[in-house]
Formats: sequence, structure tokens, C-alpha cells
Amino acid sequence: MPNMQSAIEWLYGTSVSSAIRDTSWIVPTVQAIHICAIAVVVGSALVTELRIAGVIAPEESLKVVAQRYLPWMWCAVGVLLATGLVMVVGEPERVLANRVFWLKMGLVVSGVLLSVHLRRPLLRSTDEGHGQPAKALAWGLLILWVAVIFSGRWIAYIS
Amino acid sequence: MSFDSFLENLSSTPLALAISQGAMAFPMLECVHVVAISAVVGTIAIIDLRLLGYRAHRRGVRQLIEDILPYTWGAFGVALLAGALLFISSAPRYAHNAQFQLKLLLIAAAAVNMAFFHLTIYRRVGQWDELLPPPMPARLAGATSLCLWIAVIFLGRWVGFTLA
Repeated sequence: MPNMQSAIEWLYGTSVSSAIRDTSWIVPTVQAIHICAIAVVVGSALVTELRIAGVIAPEESLKVVAQRYLPWMWCAVGVLLATGLVMVVGEPERVLANRVFWLKMGLVVSGVLLSVHLRRPLLRSTDEGHGQPAKALAWGLLILWVAVIFSGRWIAYIS
Repeated sequence: MSFDSFLENLSSTPLALAISQGAMAFPMLECVHVVAISAVVGTIAIIDLRLLGYRAHRRGVRQLIEDILPYTWGAFGVALLAGALLFISSAPRYAHNAQFQLKLLLIAAAAVNMAFFHLTIYRRVGQWDELLPPPMPARLAGATSLCLWIAVIFLGRWVGFTLA
């Protein structure tokens, strides 16, 4: 893709990009914040999805569980996008030219859409009916987040 | 046998060589380690934030801890196992890395903080189970735990940049 290559070159040439590369503590700090935010997504998703799957706290209302954890999750997703953007700007070639990065982005979009799909009916009504399909999707979503973490780490190893 | 030669021997075992020389083993163990540490810190943070006064899915602290702590321990076991396998792949370098040493120290501090919490204020949880915000000693334990685990994540990432 010639457009992608020229975008990478332009990004690499900006002063923000060289500032990120030349300041030794920025990338490790941003990566550490990125992992802290991943922990928030994993913690929120684990409790909410296990509740949907009927594994924990079956006597607590699904609506309350979804309401308590969703704001934390959105906040963490915002931090992940911001810190991820810093990594893209700092090392555009390493990230944007990487197939695993685009696989990860596809998985992230799927994870966000599936999270919304599972939570929206819970937040809207007091309806407690949650059938087998939702339970299976909840397990699928947890596996999806694991796949996101795996692909994130593999960006460093595959180009 | 000195500690250093023990570390050398450790990193020359067939298992350690398979991890350090294989193409897939090291990155895959890192993936498992990150998934596990995310689950450890993500679940512990729910308890810590509740101790600081943020509501979770349970009204009471006791039920919340009973819901969540088994998953925290399970994930901690996985993180420890994956971490140990990463460690043996170059045991001498990790053991002499200052960030790695400090990371182990802070995990030990988090364990002491948790044990102290469970042996003191948590013994009287019946008196403050649903109280918001919880009493000061519980809030202090929550804040200490949260800070220590965030520092553990930072140091863990720093090990990867300083090991060389």
C-alpha cells in the first residue's frame, strides 16, 4: 500500500514522533499505563461476563453488575486508545506496517461491539431473561480479550 | 555451589534452553504472563477500589472478596508459573536486574499488606461490611495494594527494557 507507506514516512518525520523516540522513558511508561488499562478491561469484563454466564453472583441483578463496571471499562478503553496512539506515532513503521497490529485492531473492534451487544439490553430494562446464546457469547468475549492481549504482545515479534 | 553458579545451571537445563532458543516459547509465555497479570491486577483493583469507597457489584465487602479472590489466586498462580519459566530462560540476567529485584520485593510487600489486612480490620468486617466509605485502616490497605500492583506492572515492563 503506497498510501500507508507515505503516511508512515510522514508520521516518522514529525517532531512529535522523534520526541517520543528520543526520550527514553516515554515508551516504557506508556506501555506500562497501557497494561494497567488492559487490567481494568480484563477485571471489568471478567466479572460482568462471568455474571452473564451465570458463574458468579447469580443473585445480583444483571443490570446493576453491567452498570457498575461499564464506566470503568469505557474509561480504560479511552486510555488504551490514547496510549496506543502514542506508540503508533513514536514507531509508525513497527506498528502500522505490522499485520498482527491490524489483526489486533479487528479483534478490539469485535470485542467492543460484542460488549455493547451483551450489555445494552441489560442497561435498558429490568428484564432478567438471558438465554443460552448470551452465555455462550460471554465466554466467547473473554476468549476474544485473551486473543487481543496475545496479538498485542506478538506485535513486538512479528513484522 | 554459589548462587550464581546455581543460576547458570538453572538456565542450562533442557527446559530453560527450550524457552531461550525456541522461536515461539518465550513470546507465548510473555502472552500468558500478561493475560494472568491483567487478571490479577484487574480483579484486585475491584476489591481495592471498594475498600476506597467505590461500589462494586456486591453491597458487602465480604461477599465481594469471596466472589473475586479465587480468580485472583488462580491468575496469580498462572502468572507465577509463566514468570518462573521466563526467569529460568536467562536466570543470571534477571536475578541481577535491579528492576526485577524491586518487582519481587513489591510483590512481597503486597502480600504482607494483604495478610495484615486479613488479620486485622477484616476480622471485624461484620461491623463495616456495607459501610461506605469503609473505615480508615481498610481504605489504607486498599490504597497501598493498588499503588503496589501498579508499581509491579511498571517495573515488569521496565525489566524488558533494561535486561539487555
